[in-house]
Parts: sequence; C-alpha cells; structure tokens
Amino acid sequence: MDGQALTSATVDFFFSFRSPYSYLAGPRAFALGERFDVEVVFRGVIPMAMRGQSVPREKGLHTLRDAKREANRLAMPFGRIHDPIGDGAIRCLLVAEHAVDVGREREFVLEASRGIWAQAADVSSDAGLRPICERAGLSWRDCAAALDDPDLRARVDADTAALAQLGHWGVPVFVFAGELFWGQDRIEDLEIALRDAGLERPLSPAAGA
Amino acid sequence: MPTSPADTITRRVAPRAVVALSQVGWPSRLGAATRRKLGRRGRVELFFAFDDPCSAIAVIDLAARVEGRDVQLLLKPVVGRGIADDPAVDLKRRYAIDDARRLGRRAGLVLSRHEPLAAGDTAFLAEWAASAPQGPALTRFCVQTLLVLWFETDGPVDKAAHAAAWRDHFGEETPVAGGAECVHRNERLMRRRGPYDTPAAWVHGQWFFAHDRLAQIAARLDDLGWTVRP
Repeated sequence: MDGQALTSATVDFFFSFRSPYSYLAGPRAFALGERFDVEVVFRGVIPMAMRGQSVPREKGLHTLRDAKREANRLAMPFGRIHDPIGDGAIRCLLVAEHAVDVGREREFVLEASRGIWAQAADVSSDAGLRPICERAGLSWRDCAAALDDPDLRARVDADTAALAQLGHWGVPVFVFAGELFWGQDRIEDLEIALRDAGLERPLSPAAGA
Repeated sequence: MPTSPADTITRRVAPRAVVALSQVGWPSRLGAATRRKLGRRGRVELFFAFDDPCSAIAVIDLAARVEGRDVQLLLKPVVGRGIADDPAVDLKRRYAIDDARRLGRRAGLVLSRHEPLAAGDTAFLAEWAASAPQGPALTRFCVQTLLVLWFETDGPVDKAAHAAAWRDHFGEETPVAGGAECVHRNERLMRRRGPYDTPAAWVHGQWFFAHDRLAQIAARLDDLGWTVRP
C-alpha cells in the first residue's frame, strides 16, 4: 500500500481497442483515479462490428475524420493506423485481462491503443504485439499464454455482455453509481458527477503551490 | 503471419488516407476567402429534428454562437434520421434524454421532458419550419419552439400554442401545404452531405455532430476567417 485510502467507489470504463474514441479517452479515463477517490475498472469489449452491429461506411469515415480533429485538440498522435478488427482486437483484449491481473492495465491499454491508432502496429502479429507488451512492463511469455487462456476469454465475453445488459451499444462508456456516460467528450460530465458525489481529492500542498 | 495486399489497403492505407485528406485545409480556406471577396457570407447548415433533445441544445447554442460573425445559420429540419435498421434506435433516443439533460446543465438549462418524443409528434413543426424562408424569424421561431418543447413543457405537444408562436414570429398563418416535400429535400441534402443523424452541422466541407462539437464549429469558422466582429 502506498498510504492512499482504499476506495469503495468505482467507475467502470468500457473500452474497445477498435474504437478511436476509446483511445482518445484512455489517458483521461485512467487519470480519474488520481484526481478522484475512485477505482477505474477497465472492462474491455469486443468491437461493435464483430458483434453483428452495422457500421455504415459514412459513419466509419466520419469517425476517423472527427477523431483526428479531437486528437489534434487533445494533442494526441493519431493517423498512422492499423485496424485491429478480428484477431488483433481479441488478442489485445486477452492481454489486457492479464494486465488487469498484474496491475498494469493502464500501461498496456494506453500503449496498445497508441500503437494501433498512431503507430500502425499490427497487433494481430507477435511482432506487433510483443514490443507493446514489453513497453507496458509485461512479460511476453505471460502475455503469449494469456492469448490461449479460456478464463480470460470468458471475462472478455462477460464484459461485452455487461455492456449490452446496460442497454448500451458503443464505447467508450463510463458507469458511475448506475449512471452511464457515453463518449470521450462526456468525461467532463462524469467529473461533475464525481465532484457532486464528494469524491474529488483535495489538492496536495505541492500541487497547489 | 504475412498480410495480403488487400488487407494492408483496408487496414492501413485507406484509414491513413482518410485521416490525411481530412487535414488538407487550403481548399476550404481558399473557398472561404473567395466567398468573402465576392461579398458572400459564410454558411452553417444545421440539420436538426424537433423530436431530438440534442438538436435543441445545438440550435439554441449555435444561434447565439454565429451572432457577430458574417455567417448565416441555415436551419434544415428533418424527420427521418438515424442509421437504417439500427437495432439500438430506441436505446439511443432514450439515452439522448439523459445526455441532453447533462449538456443543458452545461448551458444553464434544465430539461423538462423525461420521455422521448416520437418523430410523428413534431413532424408538423419540421414541415412548417422547412417551408419557411431562412432568416432571423425562422431562427427565433426554432429557438423558442425547441426551448418550449424541451425545457419548459412535458407531456403532449401543444400544436395550437406553437401555431400561435408561428403567427407571432412570421405575422401569418402556418403553412398549409408543401412542408413535407421541403422536409424530404432537407433529408436528401443531409444524406448527400454525409450526416446520418441529428444534430449535424455542415461547415464548408466538414461536418460535425453539432451538440458534441459546438466549440469546434466556432473554431472552424475562426479558421475559415469568419471570426466574431469586434
């Protein structure tokens, strides 16, 4: 323990590696746990297009263009893309579950999504995924084992089903105290809800100086 | 595992090209400068639906945001919207209530409705507005009507009250024919521009989901040279 109080409040963070908006949300989502007395719970879901939901061409084009505008606004790299739909997305989800088990999901999720959306990493190949895992501080041997772990796959399926049970369709979605917030551009509303719930951490003297 | 050329194009080349092309700004800036030289105003085409609470947020905000710029806000009401055969359409309409409540709070507005409106409940408003000439009277009517619909009332839509508001703004009776075709024209234009749902703002070659990107729409106008006049 590092001396911080145990948190009881949680923010569920439903995330897809194939969603550019999930990538854009990632850094701010995981940082919520630093500014608020909440635990951010990563819940990776299978991409919409792999769940039988239609994604019209115009929606796909608009998403890329709009995500680029938003990435520019957020000063995040975006554009050197390798679409991970299929094996790549599933492999990232499985490694992410392993990363949760060893407490490095933040590092892995941010590294992998940056790799996919800004570095054209082909995460369906070991050559593409391995350096991402290692940069996230994960053992490649353990990650390779995770790719064939049926228990981790069951967790991915359960999180995907949980999003549907919440009556939601896309990502990123945040759930706090039963309330849903859809979109990387709704994090500010989530922050208001966390503040209203009295969960904002007081500024440390050093931070306020 | 080696990837096929087709796979490489689909996964890497095409998305990268779409992003790169979206960053080419000189044609729209040149077009905007040319419009100004010809004495023409900038345009924001706003596709919206009266049964959509997020459209209410967008129309009310953008009407104020284009004030002071040499920009015309063209209001294009539609009735048909959304992705064809979308299984989540009802969930989206219900979620829009929660979302608009939070977006309204950002703007100091309190949503008064708790349930979605059906498209048919407000189609007459779209037909009236679509058949009216663009201009301040139409903007004021749409702003007032959306305020009343979403921030002042709950329950059934009061057609007589909206007709009275129409007479106040336009000094004449509500249109009796032709509105449906005008709405269909707006829907066709929306599809041609690219948006598949409302509220969507088309700003000289780029479109935005307007309720999500209000500040970015203003930034786009700034970038094109249509800044707020001192």
